[in-house]
Amino acid sequence: MMNKTSLIALLLLGFAGLYPLFVDSAWLAVGTTFLVFACVAFSQDIILGRAGVFHMGHAMFFGLGAYTTAILNVQFGWAILATWIPSVVIPMACAFALVAPIIHLRGDYLLVATIGFNIIFIQILENDVFGLTGGPNGLFGIDVVRVFGYDFSSQIHMYYMAFILLGITLFIMRSLDRSKFGRAMFYIHKDDIAAQSMGISLRYYKLYAFILGAGIAGAAGSMFSVQYSAVSPEAFNVTQSIMFFTIVLVGGSASLPGVLIGTFVMFVLPEVFREFETARYLVFGVAMILTMILRPRGIWPVKFGNIPSFLKKEAK
Amino acid sequence: MSEYLLEIQNVSKLFSGLVAIDNLSMKVKKGQIYGIIGPNGAGKTTLFNCITGIYTPEIGQILWKGKDIKGISPYKIAGLGILRTFQTIRLFSEMSVAENIMSGRHIKSKQRWYNGIIPTPAYFKDEKYQWTKVGELMEFFNLSLYATTPAGDLSYGIQRRIEMARALAAEPELLILDEPAAGLNENETIELTEMIRKIQAMGVTIMMIEHDMEMVMSLSEYITVINFGAKISEGVPSFVQADPKVVEAYIGSDEEDEDA
Repeated sequence: MMNKTSLIALLLLGFAGLYPLFVDSAWLAVGTTFLVFACVAFSQDIILGRAGVFHMGHAMFFGLGAYTTAILNVQFGWAILATWIPSVVIPMACAFALVAPIIHLRGDYLLVATIGFNIIFIQILENDVFGLTGGPNGLFGIDVVRVFGYDFSSQIHMYYMAFILLGITLFIMRSLDRSKFGRAMFYIHKDDIAAQSMGISLRYYKLYAFILGAGIAGAAGSMFSVQYSAVSPEAFNVTQSIMFFTIVLVGGSASLPGVLIGTFVMFVLPEVFREFETARYLVFGVAMILTMILRPRGIWPVKFGNIPSFLKKEAK
Repeated sequence: MSEYLLEIQNVSKLFSGLVAIDNLSMKVKKGQIYGIIGPNGAGKTTLFNCITGIYTPEIGQILWKGKDIKGISPYKIAGLGILRTFQTIRLFSEMSVAENIMSGRHIKSKQRWYNGIIPTPAYFKDEKYQWTKVGELMEFFNLSLYATTPAGDLSYGIQRRIEMARALAAEPELLILDEPAAGLNENETIELTEMIRKIQAMGVTIMMIEHDMEMVMSLSEYITVINFGAKISEGVPSFVQADPKVVEAYIGSDEEDEDA
């Protein structure tokens, strides 16, 4: 069982690593965006799938990262490399400042509040506050990454940068899963009263999930803005937040392969069926409904019981 | 400092005007097994919820080693060393038995905030140590065979053991058991009784609500009887058993079956 999973993972890694060699530029861009969206989906999964917080404003953190890079580069002339840290830290700081006052809200109430944040965020972008955001058209002409006079400007560069970003994200997810922080999120998710009685602070670990999720989403946003060398508000609206939310639930909450499958189903498949135009979304609506009826825990549900082998004494 | 570990002083808890606990006082000595009995709906679980911070009583004080802990949030209460089990079992049922017990190690773990993102040598050491402790507890509670089994798939009696193992994993000073024998068969109750004695021998103070009279009378060193939220009797088991007020409270309510 263990070997089969690692084999699939290895094959996927090989495929993803060699993918740019086999595809045209349009499909390469789809691949890059898939990697970026997968990072965002994982960061949404920390909040929704692990901590179990109904957060439907995640596109805001994604957008904050994208706009931080865009504004610092286009308006203030910072090098892209220099915008990386702010594009992670600013979404984290916003997550703390915005979410801390509402973190005690339960399920549906918190969901509505996070949608509210997302709507306000889009309003700020569209109204060109302080003349920084470029209004409804967004910002154009974002630079490429330059290191020691070398430009990482081709689509293949973009792909491998996104590939590394996803690798870092997966490393963080793995560390989280194997630490008391990831476990505390699961305990809160499964039974918050029991979790509290074990000494786990709901507030601390839910905020931890939000801040970590916002940081990863921000990094993905920065990558996204560089890939398209432009940002505009509609890429970060509530519909986009709903998509990230759905990716996690359709793929499988808290399941690494599940979230990857979810991203593939919700983002890559629509690209594959592009020739069917808008009719394809009808199929997706139906597919989402069927998944929830037939596989309510997602296409590839999470498996618990990841404990050190010295504790496994089951007679096989 | 007070000779009592826990002192409940004139505590009252109201629910929209209804008195759930009425001017209740009791004193628990360190190392004791303290029994609380009373008919259904007497307010016993409400009292436990007040001690563990799930409810805040309107009146009175709850002193832990002489300090008032009334109104402190449940997770901080656990941090003080007061751990509990639930009458209606509350396990993380999709998660494995080992992971359930690991939740008790949470407050003992020394992992730093950045260990959720990046492992460090100190993290690996801590993680190994905590899992070893979980292994020891699984041995003690005879759960090693079920290490990877989802807790929700196991029988009622085993689930009760997991709950106790989980609470004990946090190395409590006071262990609060809410009807630990409910739903257990005779053999399981005997096993449980021995287990509780062993836990006491480790130096853990135990407070317990129980309807199984045989068990509570044999284990408890001191008993408080509650009816309609108020104390009607207290004393050593032999005294309480003979108290006419206790007998009266139980007459006409001898259906002690708790629907859990």
